[in-house]
Amino acid sequence: MLGPDVTWYLVISGILFSVGALGVLLRRSPLIVLLSVEIMLNGANLALIAFSRLHGESDGQVFAIAVMAVAASEVVVGLGLIVAMSRRNLALDVDRLTSLRG
Amino acid sequence: MTSVWASWITLLSPLAAALAITLAGTSLSRRVAGIVATTGTSVAFVAAVVAFVDLLGEDGEQRSHLDTAWTWLAAGNFRIGVEILVDPLSVFMMLVVSGVGSLIVAYSLGYMDGDDEERRFFAYMALFVFSMLLLVQGGNLLMMLLGWGLVGLSSYLLIGFHHERPSAIAAAKKAFIMNAFGDATFALALFLLIAHNRSLSFDALGEIDGASSTVRNLVALGLLGGAVAKSAQLPLHTWLPDAMEGPTPVSALIHAATMVTAGVYLIVRAHEVFEAAWVVQNLAAIIGAVTLLVAGLIALVQTDIKRVIAYSTMSQIGYMFLGAGLGAYANAMFHLMTHAFFKALLFLAAGVVIHALAGEQDMRRMGGLKRLMPFTYWCFLIGALALVGIPPLAGFFSKDSILAAALDRGALGAILFSIGIVGTFLTGLYTFRMLYLVFHGPRSVFVSEHHHRYHGREGPATMLVPVAVLAALSVVGGWLQFAGVWTPVTDFLDPVAEQIAEANTWKEILASVLAVALGICGMLVAWAMYSARSWRVPSWRPVRRVLEEKLYWDRLYDWIFYIPASWSGRAIMRWFERPVIAGSAIGIGVGARESGELASEVQTGYLRAYALAIAAGLAVLVLVFISVK
Repeated sequence: MLGPDVTWYLVISGILFSVGALGVLLRRSPLIVLLSVEIMLNGANLALIAFSRLHGESDGQVFAIAVMAVAASEVVVGLGLIVAMSRRNLALDVDRLTSLRG
Repeated sequence: MTSVWASWITLLSPLAAALAITLAGTSLSRRVAGIVATTGTSVAFVAAVVAFVDLLGEDGEQRSHLDTAWTWLAAGNFRIGVEILVDPLSVFMMLVVSGVGSLIVAYSLGYMDGDDEERRFFAYMALFVFSMLLLVQGGNLLMMLLGWGLVGLSSYLLIGFHHERPSAIAAAKKAFIMNAFGDATFALALFLLIAHNRSLSFDALGEIDGASSTVRNLVALGLLGGAVAKSAQLPLHTWLPDAMEGPTPVSALIHAATMVTAGVYLIVRAHEVFEAAWVVQNLAAIIGAVTLLVAGLIALVQTDIKRVIAYSTMSQIGYMFLGAGLGAYANAMFHLMTHAFFKALLFLAAGVVIHALAGEQDMRRMGGLKRLMPFTYWCFLIGALALVGIPPLAGFFSKDSILAAALDRGALGAILFSIGIVGTFLTGLYTFRMLYLVFHGPRSVFVSEHHHRYHGREGPATMLVPVAVLAALSVVGGWLQFAGVWTPVTDFLDPVAEQIAEANTWKEILASVLAVALGICGMLVAWAMYSARSWRVPSWRPVRRVLEEKLYWDRLYDWIFYIPASWSGRAIMRWFERPVIAGSAIGIGVGARESGELASEVQTGYLRAYALAIAAGLAVLVLVFISVK
């Protein structure tokens, strides 16, 4: 097997996922939250591809492509929402967008 | 078999008329609906005549045909078919029902003209005629019970025809409930019959002889309960006067000529059962005698013209019960027929009066109508004389033969005979009180203001012609039989129900002389009080009050049934329904709403709080999985 051990890939994948999760939890701008979600997805993708390489099967790669498709659609919807919000001069701050409370 | 298929036509043509009117709906004009109903019942009458003539052509013992259309229900070897019985008794009833029925439906063409819901009326009328024919033609007791229930239904529908009047609705419900009580006892008797005879056919009724006396008495009592309720005899009579809320042709057809006599038909048809339970048979006769007396007394103080005739109907059916209970079956059936003629005549003539007075039924506001409506007056007079039993009109021949037959039955017969004789006095009194109040005396203010003629006549031809026909029948109808000399009715019916009580000549003479004498006495007293006014109407207050309260029967039923029922209903409402049922339902609703409100507090609207909750949950799950591993 060429290249570094699979552990390193998983470490990087875990770091990416954690960075993304912290971004989602800590940042208040919806745009950054969206970016952080993308980072989390890519962390997961990295783990999928690493295992695919480890086992020499293509299942993981197929899943990674599916995740990319989902991520792309998510960006389309998310960015669309953000553009709509800014057009209405709504505050781009998730802590102030609380009209959906019980 | 001409008689059999003619009987099927008799049965089905009114049904076809009812269905045609119902299904055609508004595409039929009101008048055409009436004509369809009249045609249906007239066809039934013609077919009944054909069946009758065909039956006459056969030997006396062979005049009984049971025709099964199909097997209705089968359980093991117990089978019930949809079948009709064509024998002298059922053909006799078919003739009366369809004959009087078609006259009254024709009369309704004029009487109901212009009513908003004429089509519904005629559909109900045709349905009633069908039901009544099913009752008398049914080839076994179950078919008879079917007709029995259907006449109750159509009676309910027609009493409540003016459904915008609360009193009509109340009367309809009352009639239906009291009849349902009778239907229930009838059905219970049938269950016992199935258990013991394994059959509901009329032929097998005689086998009840083999059962224990309890069973025999119970079966007879159940059948008697049905008969008493349907025929408005004591103690189930209170619905009949209230049933006068229905339109007058309905009163004439259902509550005088046909349906209320079904009880008499039942007793005659099931006479083997009653003969096997002589206690119950005597009870039937006693009930008839008491009813004829009580109804005659109450009729003396009634002020509504239709109610007087209604009580008179109860009283006359009392005579029929008296006859049927003492075993004078043919005499009872003969009186049933003549009564159908003259009572329908009285009702229809009263209907002409009511029609001409814009719906007024209170006799106190009438008076002096003789000049204004001579034709109606003479017809009404014929009906009244026939009712009192003045020779040579119909009631004389039929009522007196019942009384004479009663004399043949020992001490009980003698007692009932004397009650019946007193009844003839009351009949004369209340009938002529009504006649004098309505037609004689000075013209009342109400009459001068409200009386109107119909295109220069007393009423439309469709009303006057049936009245004239019935008047003619009330005169000649009695000549069918003259006891002791000329007895075709008895001879015709004898194969079905053999007479137990036969009067001899001197009893006939005694009964006739006494009955006619007392009837005339009653008429003279009525004349003295209400026409000549030489006697003051006695004002015995307590007696009058008791009679006006109809001997407190309605009050009694209120006390026994209505007040306990409504009291317990209110108690249950208060102590159980509101706290327990409604309380728990409301509690569940309130609890759900409050817990929902509580849970919605969690929904803060802060996106990051949600994300944190997801992350924390995920972390907990991961920890759980790792530690469990």
